[in-house]
Amino acid sequence: MKRIFGIAALALVVISGWAFAQVEITWWHAMSGARLGVVESIVDEFNATHPGIVVKPLFTGSYAETLTKFIAAYRTGTAPNLVQVYEVGTQTMIDSGAIIPVYQLPEMFGEEWDWGQYIIPILNYYSVDGNLWSMPFNSSTAMLYYNKDLFAKAGLDPNKPPTTWAEVEEVGKKLLESGVVEHVLSFGWPGWIFEQMHAYHNQLFANNDNGRSGLATKVLFNQDFGVMVLNTWTRLAQEGIFLYGGPEYSANQAFISGQIAMLIQSTSSLAGIEKASDFEVGTSFLPRFEGYPMGNSVIGGASLWVTKGQSEAELKAVWEFLKFLGRTEIAIQWHKGTGYFPTVNSAVKALLDEGWFSKDQNFLTAFLQILSGRRDTAAAAGVRLGPFVEIRELERAAIEKAVSGVMSPKEALDEAAQKANQLLEEYAKVAGS
Amino acid sequence: MPQDRFPGHRLLPYLLVFPSLAVIVVFLIIPFIQSVKMSFYKMSPFGTRLIYVGFDNYRQLFSSPDYLHSVVITLIFSVFVILVGLGLSLAIALALNQRIRGKGFYQVALIWTYALSPAVAGTIWALMFAPATGIMPYIISKLSGGYKLNWMTNPTVALLVVSAAATWKMLGYNIVFYIAGLQNVPGELLEAARVDGAGPWQTFWRVTFPMLSPTTTFLLFVNMLYAFFQVFGLIDIMTRGGPGNATEILVYKLYRDGFIHLKSGYAAAQSFVIFIVIAVLAVLQLRVATRKAVYAR
Repeated sequence: MKRIFGIAALALVVISGWAFAQVEITWWHAMSGARLGVVESIVDEFNATHPGIVVKPLFTGSYAETLTKFIAAYRTGTAPNLVQVYEVGTQTMIDSGAIIPVYQLPEMFGEEWDWGQYIIPILNYYSVDGNLWSMPFNSSTAMLYYNKDLFAKAGLDPNKPPTTWAEVEEVGKKLLESGVVEHVLSFGWPGWIFEQMHAYHNQLFANNDNGRSGLATKVLFNQDFGVMVLNTWTRLAQEGIFLYGGPEYSANQAFISGQIAMLIQSTSSLAGIEKASDFEVGTSFLPRFEGYPMGNSVIGGASLWVTKGQSEAELKAVWEFLKFLGRTEIAIQWHKGTGYFPTVNSAVKALLDEGWFSKDQNFLTAFLQILSGRRDTAAAAGVRLGPFVEIRELERAAIEKAVSGVMSPKEALDEAAQKANQLLEEYAKVAGS
Repeated sequence: MPQDRFPGHRLLPYLLVFPSLAVIVVFLIIPFIQSVKMSFYKMSPFGTRLIYVGFDNYRQLFSSPDYLHSVVITLIFSVFVILVGLGLSLAIALALNQRIRGKGFYQVALIWTYALSPAVAGTIWALMFAPATGIMPYIISKLSGGYKLNWMTNPTVALLVVSAAATWKMLGYNIVFYIAGLQNVPGELLEAARVDGAGPWQTFWRVTFPMLSPTTTFLLFVNMLYAFFQVFGLIDIMTRGGPGNATEILVYKLYRDGFIHLKSGYAAAQSFVIFIVIAVLAVLQLRVATRKAVYAR
């Protein structure tokens, strides 16, 4: 009996000693496929170089599933230390009362941290009143992809992709006339592209400075600019130039197989598209509407949020990990492995120095686009909405209704805006902090 | 006094049913009561704020054109899946029940669709109908002289394609049961009908079909549940309720409102409405159908 006690006591000492030395951090993320491998190798490297901290990454399904699981876990007190949340969940997280804004972390440990080392448009996107609330992780934006071979076949200059929507139409007609394609252009994430157009032309998408100076209570996308955008897209659809390709990434297949010559899609598709297509892929800035002011394209993707209610040792470990993600070589590894933006300026320089961008200029396109755009207005920073997931779906529904001719663009947008305003009102009542 | 079936162990029967009862109470009854309660509240996504709203969620539900649209879509969808599905599978089962060469092969070939996961079935159909690259739009365009079938923008086509896919997916299951049912139709009855001068058509409607009514009743019920609930995966893979909300059936709308849009109260109200609808339909169906079904031989 005594011996058993002895062993038990010894075991207890060993376990507690081990637990004392090791801080375990769980991180829930939504990175699958090739991205999962990159996440794991980055975490392995962190664990190997940081004795005393063990980061355990866990793939918890899609972005939506990860957020749902996080909420359930938070309410039962079993939340992970760190969670990845998509950009449309940003306002929900800000209002959740379940997180610690990341800008408070260095202060807690008496550190000075230079936030200026992160790429400014990304930093702005996740900041509230100039303070960063979540750590930028996988950020992308939208750009124009085009098939250089098809351009050449149609007698067009493959190094002159369209700059404006008027040119898209002109080029589109030529491509159709030449008979190399039956349709010309498609989008991924249609609602997001609609938002991009607003920010890219410095137009507010919702009131209260795009929901950045206070909760948005009214959307503005059914005003003149939004209607003009959807009118254009609908006309292009009627002319056979624009082929509505469905949500998310379903339009990529048509582009890869050469059925269409142009695609507006997230930059995170670049590596996949280049690998899968047997033609020369060109990329360029998003097409502009002439006569409207310059704005910037908007950040998409996801960021990392720190859960409230952790021990100080855990928070310290989380902070170490977040700092690690911003290291030059890690940001480069992330960018090369996934196509997402590296989050720090030093990584951009290093990539430039090693000739990465001259090897494949397409990786530079989106950078130049967001870095050359304006960043001093709320309109250009992009909209932030409480019920963003649902409102983006309403935008998509409106686009679908307009391009398929079920409703006029104005009617479709008015209907969507009316529903969106109801959602905003309810959100402010129920969830707003 | 009723006969004591467990002499000396009066509590034993209760003990024996206790595990099942516990499972039912813990996993069905309690969550059900909670979700009914939840339907009278609005809750912030993280549950930090809970506001009692009375019947507001229900009022909002029935005044929402999207919800009413979803009800109509669900009815069209389930009627399609049930009628076309059962009709088609009965026809195929009849054909498979003939003495033909390679019958086993045909039976397996027609049944395997049921073994597919919704994700695989959904992907197959989505690829087949992909607007720019799919085989079906290509064939239709060739046959019709240029009509461009795009189920990503055309709500009617989308609903049709999803209904067809759902029907196809369930076909195998229905066929298996109909074949089993057909094999239970006694040969002497069919023979007697033939001797009495009934043609094949008459034999089918007067003898075979009534004899199949228990199978049909069962399949009606299973297919109804399938059309209401189990097609979720298929819709999620194929259309996510789109285009617009053309294929957003009730259970899919519930999922989106509850788990994606994080509106628990609103979703709870929807789940209660679905519960009532299914309960009423089930009772009706059991009453009408069991009375008509010929169980005795």
